[in-house]
Amino acid sequence: MSAVLDPHGHGADHAHDDHHGAPHGWRRWVYATNHKDIGTLYLLFAFTMLIIGGVLALGIRAELFQPGLQLVNPELFNQLTTMHGLIMVFGAIMPAFVGFANWMIPLQIGAADMAFARMNNFSFWLMIPAALLLAGSFFMPGGAPSGGWTLYAPLSLQMGPSMDAAIFALHILGASSIMGSINIIVTILNMRAPGMTLMKMPMFVWTWLITAYLLIAVMPVLAGAITMTLTDRHFGTTFFNPAAGGDPVMFQHIFWFFGHPEVYIMILPAFGIVSHHSRFFPQKIIWLCLHGLRHVVHRDFVFHRMGSPHVHHWHAGHRSVVLYVRHHVDLYSYRCEGVQLDRHHVAWLHDL
Amino acid sequence: MMNNIYRKFEKACIALFALGSTLAWAVNDLPGGPAVRQLNLHPPVTKIAEEQVWLHWFMLIICTVIFVAVFGVMFYSILKHRKSVGHKAATFHESLKVEIAWTVVPFVIVILMALPATKAVVASKDTSNADLTIKATGYQWKWGYDYIKGEGEGIGFVSTLDNAQREMSNSGKPEPTDDYLLKVDNPLVVPVDKKIRIITTSNDVIHSFAVNSFGIKQDAIPGFVRDTWFRAEKTGDFHGQCQELCGKEHAYMPIHVKVVSAEEYTAWVTEQNKKLAAKQEDPSKVWTMAELMQKGEKVYASNCQSCHQATGKGMGPIKALDGATVVLDADNLKQIKVLLNGQNNQTMPAWKQLSDSEIAAVISFTKNNWSNKTGQMVQPAEVLAARK
Repeated sequence: MSAVLDPHGHGADHAHDDHHGAPHGWRRWVYATNHKDIGTLYLLFAFTMLIIGGVLALGIRAELFQPGLQLVNPELFNQLTTMHGLIMVFGAIMPAFVGFANWMIPLQIGAADMAFARMNNFSFWLMIPAALLLAGSFFMPGGAPSGGWTLYAPLSLQMGPSMDAAIFALHILGASSIMGSINIIVTILNMRAPGMTLMKMPMFVWTWLITAYLLIAVMPVLAGAITMTLTDRHFGTTFFNPAAGGDPVMFQHIFWFFGHPEVYIMILPAFGIVSHHSRFFPQKIIWLCLHGLRHVVHRDFVFHRMGSPHVHHWHAGHRSVVLYVRHHVDLYSYRCEGVQLDRHHVAWLHDL
Repeated sequence: MMNNIYRKFEKACIALFALGSTLAWAVNDLPGGPAVRQLNLHPPVTKIAEEQVWLHWFMLIICTVIFVAVFGVMFYSILKHRKSVGHKAATFHESLKVEIAWTVVPFVIVILMALPATKAVVASKDTSNADLTIKATGYQWKWGYDYIKGEGEGIGFVSTLDNAQREMSNSGKPEPTDDYLLKVDNPLVVPVDKKIRIITTSNDVIHSFAVNSFGIKQDAIPGFVRDTWFRAEKTGDFHGQCQELCGKEHAYMPIHVKVVSAEEYTAWVTEQNKKLAAKQEDPSKVWTMAELMQKGEKVYASNCQSCHQATGKGMGPIKALDGATVVLDADNLKQIKVLLNGQNNQTMPAWKQLSDSEIAAVISFTKNNWSNKTGQMVQPAEVLAARK
């Protein structure tokens, strides 16, 4: 890459690399402009939030393990469900796919980096204060928001100050997503290598192009809905307050104008990854499926161990058969070769 | 037939679960409510619910068939057309026949599924020609029922979760009861085989009125009116719960519908009207402290206790009443205003649906209970005056 971008034509002069090379240590990450570094940051961030959101979910499940209230009170329970939803959607799933996008899109379309490297840095580092606000809302007076991740009015109007923190956090996360989307769209449309036409673009890049457009279309709508909630809460407006002619259902309409596309925002890049893999690595798909099967079978086995012995015997027989089949098919799948397979996949269609 | 297959499947699943479970809860199926280890929808009691159960299985079977077919073809083509088994790559690019087939076939399937579903949706929305119309109002966190048209017109009451069950939940060790968290003080009583129209609205936030066995669920929206209907074909008790998150006690606002024969219903209406007449109170009556305290304690237990606690100390964001300035204030009007209008963005909701004597009693109770010893009494007449 440096050879391509070097304007002075002394690419061979490696002695000076340290002076204008990538920064090291913490500067490498805080000042990151390299798409792979930023992608890594996004993935680490998403993983951290996944763990936090997962711990909240564990709290929910632990409380529901027995009837009656053992671990958390009803307010905290609702806070757990609400924050689990917000953190998983905005902190884990969306950033995880932006991480994959940062890593893979330049590589897949033959670009040197993302189009706006510094904006890329900014859109990542915006997420940190937003995440702190979200996670920190548990320690605010009255606890975290507890009106559900959909933040329906008028329940959201009853929440304590943490609701305002959550609204601010969502605004920041929205700004970050929009910047990320602009970056992705510009990169895809302007920075493809010669010969990489749109119709030749890998599926993952295509799905992210669509996702980025969706994000730009709907994140401002969510921002509008939560801003109206904010002004209803503090500045005397009554968008969602029926007592003064407002309409609580309007919040739901606006929210789901964002919420429904959001479902596709979260799943499209995943579809892209799966399509890409089944196109280029079908043998891996078979391999994964069979290993998945093995894990299920193994779990059943453990489960029945705890159960009654005669079922165990009955089951053990079946398990061996399944494993036998698995090993056989596994051997075949290891021997599968290369990209040409996709032609073979659809070959049966020709017979029609 | 479908039901038969389902029952066998259910039995197999239950057997499987039972193996892993060492806990033996002494809980039985609740007719009209949840069953032990229930997997399927509730047994239907209305035509609409029956239709929904049928649609559920119809769609599930279609989905399963499609799933098996699509994945079958996929895995077949992956496994049988590999280079390693000597398959030669085809060289075609497009196939018009295939494109048409995989557009038309799903379209036909979707239409086939949409037709009966649309029929059921349209039928469930037809609330015309009801024999009895009842307004269900959602409160944080109870249901108010007002019989507004048909036999029993004028009856109105509030239905709250049984306090003992709420306490059991708090204790963390509830005794096994079949109707755990579903028992209410005043069930909604309706006649069998009559078309009942339920009009929903709300006093504070969005709630949802839902009874599984009837196949109904309708949001109750503040400031707006929505409706749904059912015609129960069996007598008995049927249970539901609020199905839209409405705050901290959302899990504790059950719905209990008692479906009775026409004669029993008439008898119930007569009894209610008698009670109503007896309740007609003289607003100028002056109550004694003992009367106010006795009534206030009851009102407190069924309306205030879930938030402010039996100790009056509140909990989390809920303010304490014990030692509170408004409660101790010499001016009775301040506390009356809070109860009539609510405060803190309705975190403390308005309680204007309570009667004058109930509000007067509960305020007197809080002013003279725990460490609060003001000796002040609030009379219903004061509440009545403050309402204006």
